[in-house]
Amino acid sequence: MVTETIKQKINLNVADCETREQRLGTIISWTGKASELSTLSNKARCGAGGRRDCALCEVKVPFTQGSVCSEQMVECQAGNVRNAVLVQHSPIGCAAGQSMYNSIYRNGLAIRGLPVENLLITCTNLNESDMIFGAIYKLHQTIQDVYDRHKPEAIFVATSCATAIIADDIESAASEYQEKLGIPVIPLYCEGFRSKHWSTGFDATQHGILRQIVRKNPAKKQDDLINVINLWGSDVFTPMFAELGLRVNYVVDLATVEQLAQLSEAAATVGFCYTLSTYMAAALEQEFGIPEIKAPQPYGFAGTDAWLREIGRVTNREEKVEAYIKKEYEAIAPRLKELREKLKGVKGYVATGSAYSHGLISVLRELGIAVNGSLVFHHDPVYDSGDPREDSLKHLIENYGDVPSFHVSNRQQYQFYGLLKKVKPDFILIRHNGLAPLASRLGIPAAPLGDEHIAIGYKGIINLGEAILDVLAHKKFHEDLSQHVTLPYTAWWLEQDDPYVLAKHPELIDD
Amino acid sequence: MSKKIKQIAIYGKGGIGKSTTTSNISAALSTLGYKVMQFGCDPKSDSTNTLRNGQYIPTVLDTIRTKSNVNAHDVVFKGFNGIYCVEAGGPAPGVGCAGRGITTAVQLFKQQHVFEELDIDFVIFDVLGDVVCGGFAVPIREGIAEHVFTVSSSDFMAIYAANNLFAGIKKYSNNGGALLGGVIANSINKPYAKDIVDDFVKQTKTQIVEYVPRSVTVTQSELQGKTTIEAAPDSAQAAVYLNLAKRIASHEVSKSPEPLTVEQLRNWAAQWADHLLALETGSIEGTHSNI
Repeated sequence: MVTETIKQKINLNVADCETREQRLGTIISWTGKASELSTLSNKARCGAGGRRDCALCEVKVPFTQGSVCSEQMVECQAGNVRNAVLVQHSPIGCAAGQSMYNSIYRNGLAIRGLPVENLLITCTNLNESDMIFGAIYKLHQTIQDVYDRHKPEAIFVATSCATAIIADDIESAASEYQEKLGIPVIPLYCEGFRSKHWSTGFDATQHGILRQIVRKNPAKKQDDLINVINLWGSDVFTPMFAELGLRVNYVVDLATVEQLAQLSEAAATVGFCYTLSTYMAAALEQEFGIPEIKAPQPYGFAGTDAWLREIGRVTNREEKVEAYIKKEYEAIAPRLKELREKLKGVKGYVATGSAYSHGLISVLRELGIAVNGSLVFHHDPVYDSGDPREDSLKHLIENYGDVPSFHVSNRQQYQFYGLLKKVKPDFILIRHNGLAPLASRLGIPAAPLGDEHIAIGYKGIINLGEAILDVLAHKKFHEDLSQHVTLPYTAWWLEQDDPYVLAKHPELIDD
Repeated sequence: MSKKIKQIAIYGKGGIGKSTTTSNISAALSTLGYKVMQFGCDPKSDSTNTLRNGQYIPTVLDTIRTKSNVNAHDVVFKGFNGIYCVEAGGPAPGVGCAGRGITTAVQLFKQQHVFEELDIDFVIFDVLGDVVCGGFAVPIREGIAEHVFTVSSSDFMAIYAANNLFAGIKKYSNNGGALLGGVIANSINKPYAKDIVDDFVKQTKTQIVEYVPRSVTVTQSELQGKTTIEAAPDSAQAAVYLNLAKRIASHEVSKSPEPLTVEQLRNWAAQWADHLLALETGSIEGTHSNI
C-alpha cells in the first residue's frame, strides 16, 4: 500500500534534501534563445512537477572558472537567522565567507531598521587528525560552547565536503544535543560536492527549518499573515501588503527563530524569486496546507497584476487588491512616462540568478529598454510545485517577447566576455558582483543589485529606472577605463565569436 | 499506514561467505512468502549475482555517474522468486571513497521512498567487510537498518572483524542506531569451531542465530549462478538456510553487544591457541576433540 506520505514530492522524513538536479533537473550550462530553452524545459517536464525524469541536456563545458557552493548558501541563510547560531562542521577554509556574509548581515539589519549585530557562525576547524579519527566529539564540544556563550534559540549544524566524506554522524549528534539543550539543533546537509549548483544550499537550509523549527500543529492561524521568502532586501512588502490588510513574515534571512516557527500559521506564502522560494513554499503547502501563491513573479505590470490578483483570491481580498492596483498605476504613470522617454534607445543586459533574471528583463522592457541578452547562473526546468503558472521564463517570453542571446553560465568570466561583446549593452544589471569588473573593463557600467527588492511591484519599475539612470551617468568613466586596461585573455580567445566553443570543441584545449 | 519494513544489515570479514549467506536468506525469505530486497553494499557489486543466475546488474553509483538525476526504481532489478536486487557499486580498487558511495546510494533510496513504494517486508543490506570508517557505518546508523547480523567463522581474523563491528554498533546504539541480532556461525564443521564461536558470543553477550556448515552443495549451486535455496531446495543445506531465515523473520529484539578490548581479544585468542594445541598434542582430551 502506498501511503499519503510517500506520494509527496518533498520528503521531510529524512534529514537531507534532494539536490536540485535530482528534483528539478537543474542545469548550469546552456546557450541559445530564451524561447528554445522554454520549449525544451517544457518537454523535460514529465510527471507531476517534472520530477526525476527531466532530461534537459546541458552544454558540457570543460572547466568551471568561478562558483560558490551549497555551504555558502547555508552560511548566508541559516547564518543570518537572528538569535540562532550556525556551526560549520568543516575545515577552516569553508568558513572564509563569514566576514563577507557578516557585512551583508549588518547592512541588511540596518536597512530594515533592526538592531545591528554581528552574525553568529562558528567553525569546528577540522584538521588532519580529525579527518582520520573522526571529529564528532569536536562538534559536541562546539555545540555546547556556542550554547553556553550565546544561549541561542536554535543551533544549525552545516556539513562540509570533509565531514561528508568521513561520514561523521551529525544527525545523531544534533538529536543528542537537541534533547540535552532543549532547543532545535538542526543538521543541514550542504556538502559542496553533492550538487552542481549552489542553490541546493537554499533548499538544505529550508529543509532543516521545515523539519525542526516550523510549528507542527499550530494552535492558532494568523489569517492576516503572509510569508515572504527573501534575502536581506529593503522592506518594500510591508507597505504594499499593509494596503491589503496583510502583515509580512519575512524569512529566512534576518528572521528570528519565532518568525520561522510561525511559518505554518500564515495565510499564504510568496517569494521575490522562485529560485529561492520554490522548496520552502512548496513544502509549506504540502506539509502544513499554507497556500503557495502560484502566479508569475511580481515584476512589471503583467507579473505584478497576476501575482496580486492571486494573493487577493487566496486571501479573500480581491476588492482591496483591485483598489491597490488602480492606485499604483496612477501613482507611477507620470514618472514612468518620463523614464521611458529618457531611456529610449538604451540597451541593457541582465546577469543574475535564474528566475530573478526573468523578472528583471520584464521590468527593463516595461521601461522601453532593449534586452537582447541575459546570462543566468543556472536554470530549473520546473519549480517544486510543478505549477505552470510559476513558469517565469514562459511568462517573460509570452508577455515581453524572446531574448535572442540567452545563456546559462555558472559565473564563467571567460564566457561572459564573449557574451557582452556580442550584445554590446549600455549597462548590465548584476547580482553576485564578481562579474561586474569584467564589464567595467569593457566600458560597460554595472548596477549591482545588492537590494534584491529594488524592482518588485509597480514602484519597482520606477526604482529600477532611476537606478539605471544613475548607472548610465557613469558610462563615460567606464569608457575611459576600458581605454586604459587590458583583458587577461589571449588574442585567440578575444577573437572567438562563440563563448561556448570550448564546450563544442573540447579538442581545442588539447591543441 | 504502510506496514513496518524489517531492515537488516549483514556484516562480516571479506570472503567469509556474507553474500552467499545473505542471498540464501533472501531466497529463503521469499519462498516463505515475504517480499524481499537485497541491497549489496560492496564496490565489487556481486552480492546479488546468485539471485540472478550469475548476472551482474547496473549499479546505483554507475548510474549516478552517468545521469544527473536518477530514478531509484531504474536500478532495482528482479531476481529469483521476485526478489528486488540492488547493487550500490563503488569506485575501482584503490581510488575514490567506497564509504561515501554507500552513503550516496542509500540516501537516494531513502529520499525517494523506494522501500515503501515497493511494499517490501525485508530489506537486507549486504555490507562489505569490516566497519573500517564512517561510510561503512551508514547502514547501522539511525533509520536505515534496525537489526545487524554478522557472519563469522571460528577463524581469529573473522572474529576480530566481528568484534570491530560490535564496537561500531555499540557506538551508535544510544542514538537510535541498529542493534545486534546475533552471529551467523559459518563454515562450522569441526566441533572445536563451534566451541570457539560459542565462547566468543558468550564473552560479548550476544547469541548464535544459526550454525551453517561448510557444504559442497553451496559450491555446486554457486557454480550454476544460483543460491542453494534455488538449486537444491531439498538439500540439508537448504534446510539450514530456511531455518536461519525463519529465525531472522521471527527475530524481534536486538541488543547492544559488549565488544572485547584489543587486549581482552588478544588474551582470549591466546587461551584458545593454547587449548587447541593441547588438543592436538593429546595432552588434553576435549569432549569434542575432533581436530
